[in-house]
Amino acid sequence: MEFSDWELVQRCQDGEVAAFQELAGKYYRKVFMVALGIVNHREDAMEVAQETFFRAYRNIKGFKGGSTFYTWLYRIAVNLSIDFQRRQKRSPLELKETMDELIDKGEGGELANDPYADFQSKELGERLLAAINELTPDHKAVIVMRAVEGLSYKDIGRILDCSEGTVMSRLHYARKKLQEKLGSYL
Amino acid sequence: MKTDCAAIESLLGAWLDGELDRPDVERVGTHVQGCPSCLKTKERLEQLQASLKDVLGAEAARLPFDPFWNGVSRRILEKRAWHTPIREWWASTLYPQRLAWAIPMVIVFLLGVLSLEQFFPGWRWGSSPGNAAAVDSIDGHGLNVAVFRESKTKTTVIWLFENQEDENESAEEAVSTDTSF
Repeated sequence: MEFSDWELVQRCQDGEVAAFQELAGKYYRKVFMVALGIVNHREDAMEVAQETFFRAYRNIKGFKGGSTFYTWLYRIAVNLSIDFQRRQKRSPLELKETMDELIDKGEGGELANDPYADFQSKELGERLLAAINELTPDHKAVIVMRAVEGLSYKDIGRILDCSEGTVMSRLHYARKKLQEKLGSYL
Repeated sequence: MKTDCAAIESLLGAWLDGELDRPDVERVGTHVQGCPSCLKTKERLEQLQASLKDVLGAEAARLPFDPFWNGVSRRILEKRAWHTPIREWWASTLYPQRLAWAIPMVIVFLLGVLSLEQFFPGWRWGSSPGNAAAVDSIDGHGLNVAVFRESKTKTTVIWLFENQEDENESAEEAVSTDTSF
């Protein structure tokens, strides 16, 4: 039997850790992707994602359902990632290395079928990560939330505490910068 | 046409995201159909979006749940020290960019405090003006003057004395001159 997020949240509020584990299983990859897009380092993203769930658990009694659970969770993840990124700026080198391993081992799904396509995708992936790393944390946050989860401007604005117009202009700026950096790779 | 392209280009992202009003949706759609340059930009935007999802998705796909959850549950079970929330707050508030501002601000503040005496004569750091006392001394040829001022009782003592060392030195000089003869 599948429970809705709100039902799971209510069970968590009654102290049921298993319900929270179910919520974590549902969203951990998405939270990890958002963190990874902003902090640009696999281990750091793992750290931020785990801390996100820990903080969510600690504060779950204060969650009244004014927004959806994932919006609330993303808000914690994005704020933690932005704080982390501001404190510690790393190069995307280590993530690039894990991407290389992934493609070399043929674990990249469709990427592993055609050698020429592999090379191009790998090259594009590396360039893309380097280009993202040059954006500010706020610009990274909007582009990652839109690309990964396809969140609406309204939800992104709610998470980042800014207007839809600001989300739109940040997205436009971030996409323009990425297009410039990637040039002929797109 | 060029002006149109610039205006359309700024709306293309929102158009692809389905975030425009109906009149704008129609305007952008009609323009893109008839403009190869904007069509190309639209395709590049779509590829950018897809690549971003692929790159991050590939990383997330190989993240197993169990080790991830172990990390979360360890944090839940761990009793955090009382100072951990303060440390977390401190770390998230005082990151390098803020410190870059804070250091010049501290320097300016210290300089301001140290130069207060320039603007408020009589004000002294670490002591109240009522208790201020000062001793000045002036060396002269064979005579010394010491001036003691105490502002609370408005007392000034001037001490005039002969320089004993000079006297002794000249006496010794006279003695040694005598012996050489």
